[in-house]
Amino acid sequence: MKFKNISAYLVLHTRAYMRSRSAIFFQIAFPIILILLFGAIFAPTTYSPSNLVIQNDSPSAITWEIVDAINASGLFKVHVISQSVNLSHYISSNTVATALEIPGNFSSNLYSGHQGVLILKGEASPQVADSEYQLINGIITQINYRIGNTSQKLVLSSQIAIGSSDKTINYYVPGLIGFTVLTTMFNMVYTVPNFRKEKIFRQLSFTGISKSEWILSNVIHSFVMLIISDIILVAIGIYVFGASLALSPINILVTGVVLLTGLIFFTGIGILAGLISDNEETVAVIGNLILFPMMFLSGVFFPLEFAPAYLVEISKFLPLTYFINSLISVMVYNNIPSVALQIVFLVISSIIVFVVAARLFSWKQR
Amino acid sequence: MVENVIEVHNLVKRYGDFTAVDGIDFHIARGEVFSLLGPNGAGKTTTVEILEGVRKRTSGDVEVMGEDPGKSSDLVFRIGILPQDFSFVYNSTPREALEFYRKTLNPSADIKSIIELVGIGDFLDTPYQKISGGQKQRLGLSLSMVNNPDILFLDEPTSGLDPQARRNIWKVIESLKENGKSILLTTHYLEEAELLADRVAIMDKGKIIDSGTPMEIVERHHEKDRLIIRGDEDIEHIIKNEGFAAKRNGPYIEVSLENIKDATDIINILYERKAKFEDFTLKRESLEDVFVRMVGEIEEQ
Repeated sequence: MKFKNISAYLVLHTRAYMRSRSAIFFQIAFPIILILLFGAIFAPTTYSPSNLVIQNDSPSAITWEIVDAINASGLFKVHVISQSVNLSHYISSNTVATALEIPGNFSSNLYSGHQGVLILKGEASPQVADSEYQLINGIITQINYRIGNTSQKLVLSSQIAIGSSDKTINYYVPGLIGFTVLTTMFNMVYTVPNFRKEKIFRQLSFTGISKSEWILSNVIHSFVMLIISDIILVAIGIYVFGASLALSPINILVTGVVLLTGLIFFTGIGILAGLISDNEETVAVIGNLILFPMMFLSGVFFPLEFAPAYLVEISKFLPLTYFINSLISVMVYNNIPSVALQIVFLVISSIIVFVVAARLFSWKQR
Repeated sequence: MVENVIEVHNLVKRYGDFTAVDGIDFHIARGEVFSLLGPNGAGKTTTVEILEGVRKRTSGDVEVMGEDPGKSSDLVFRIGILPQDFSFVYNSTPREALEFYRKTLNPSADIKSIIELVGIGDFLDTPYQKISGGQKQRLGLSLSMVNNPDILFLDEPTSGLDPQARRNIWKVIESLKENGKSILLTTHYLEEAELLADRVAIMDKGKIIDSGTPMEIVERHHEKDRLIIRGDEDIEHIIKNEGFAAKRNGPYIEVSLENIKDATDIINILYERKAKFEDFTLKRESLEDVFVRMVGEIEEQ
C-alpha cells in the first residue's frame, strides 16, 4: 500500500466532491436541515406536563393525598408503579428523568410527629432537576400548610443524578450523527456500480492505484467529511437547541472511535451492496432497502425507549441501532463502561465486514 | 534484429461456450504502429484488454515488453492505455486528472509538454462531464502519455468523433510515431489504419483472417480496377466493341480493367470517335473495400 497513491486519490476525490452539490447537500446540509427541523418541532416552546413516576412504599391517607395533589396540579403526567418494582433499576432501564419515592417509613414517621421525607430520584439535567424539584416542593408546601400550619412536616429531598438529560434534542444529536454514518454507506452503494458501469475502475487500474488504496482514500475522505458535519450538528444541538451532551476529551475520543467503526462497517456494507447492484434500478432498490429501515427503526429520529416493544425487537436486528445506542450512552449518559463491550464487538464486526467486502471487490474484468 | 515489444501466440479467450478470441498470433516491433481491424464483436478489444492486463486469457502465450501482462503488476508503469469508451471521475477536471496520474505513475512527467502536444489547454479546468467527446478522447490520450510509455494501446481513439476532432487525434498519433513509440491501434475506420499503421491485422469472429501492410492486403485481395464513365448507350457499345467488359449501372458504365493502362486507351478511343460523355473516374479498391468484402465473405460462409 502506497501513501502517495492514497493521498493522490484523496486530493482528486475531495476536489471532485466539492464540486458535487448533491454530495455536499446529503453529507452536510441534509443532516443540518434535519436537526433544525426536529429541534424546532420538539423545542419546549409551550409548557406540557412532564412524566413523573411515583412509587408509594407507605400507602396511607396522607400519601395518597400527596399523589392526588400532584396529579390534580396538572403539572405532571403521573405514573404510579407497584411497590414490588425496584425503583433504581426502573429509572435506569426506562431512562426516567424524575421519579418520586415515598419511603416505607414515611407515614409512620409523620404520624409519630416526625418529618416525612419524600425523595425525588431520576437522571436529568440541572435545569430539569431544579424545575421539577421546585414544582413538587410547591405542591408539598401547600399540603404542609393545610395539615400542619407553618411547621414543615413534609420534606422533599432531591437525589436526582445530574448530568444526563431528558431533552428530546439530546437523542437527536447522536441519532443524526448515526444518520451521517449511514449516508456514507449510500455513497458506496451508488459509487461502486456507477464506477463499474462507467468503467472508471478500469481507468483507475491503469494508474497503479490498488483497490485497497482506493477504498482507504474513500474512508479517509468520508471520515473527514463526517467529522466536519458532526461538529456542525453538535454545535447546532448545543448552541441552538440547548442540548446537554457529555463532551469530555475521553467521550470525544470514544465517539470518534464509534464513528470510525461505523464508517468502516457501513463502507463495507455499501461495497457489498454495490457489488450486487448491476443496474441503476437495483441500486435504488438495494440502497433504499438498507437505508429506510435503519433510518426509521434504529433511533435516528426518535429514541427507541419511546417506541413500541415490537419495534424495539426489530431494531435489535439493525446494525445502526448499536452504533446509535453506543453514541447515546457516550454522548448523553456519559456512560462509556456500559457500552465498552458493545463497542469492541462493533469494532471486530466492522473489521470482518470490511475485509470481506474488500476481498470480494475487484475492479479487474473476468 | 528488430526487437518485438509484443508477442502473441495462439491466444484464446472463451466465455462459457462462446469463443471471443480463437487462437490468434501476431507481434509488434519496437517503433511500429500496428492496427487491429475488425467489425464489432471481432475480438479486438478483448485481445487488447488481455495485453493490457485487465482481462484474463483462457490460454496461449502473451508477452508485453518481455512480461506476462496477466502476472506483472509493474507493467502499468511502462505502457500507456486509452481504452474504448474512456471515462474518468465526474466533477474532476483534466488538470486534476493529469496531476493524479503524475503523482501515481511518474512524478517527473512533463505535463506541460503533454498539454501542448495534445492541445487540451483550453479546457484544463472544465469538469470532466462538461467537456465534449473529442475533448474527452484527447484527455484520455494525454493521460496515456503521462508515464512516457514505450508502447501505447489506443482502442478506437477516434470512435464517434467528428472529422476535425479525428484529424486532431491522428496528428498526435503521428507525432508519437515520429518519437519512436510502439502503438497498438484498434479502429473501425479503415482510412485511419491505412494512414497511420505500418501493419494491420484483420480480425473477424475471434480469428485473424489476414495481416500485413495495408498495401500488401489490398494487393492480395483487391478486385480489378474499374473505369466509371457517365454516358449513353452509344458509348457503352463503343467500349464493348473494343473488347472491354462493360456493364451499365444506372447512368454509369462500369468497365472492368485488366490493366490500369486500359483506362487511358478507352478514354483516347472515345475522344477519337468524338463520343460525348459527361465525366469519368478511375476506381481503385481501398483497404476499406477489401475489408468489407473479406468480412462479408466470411459472414456468407
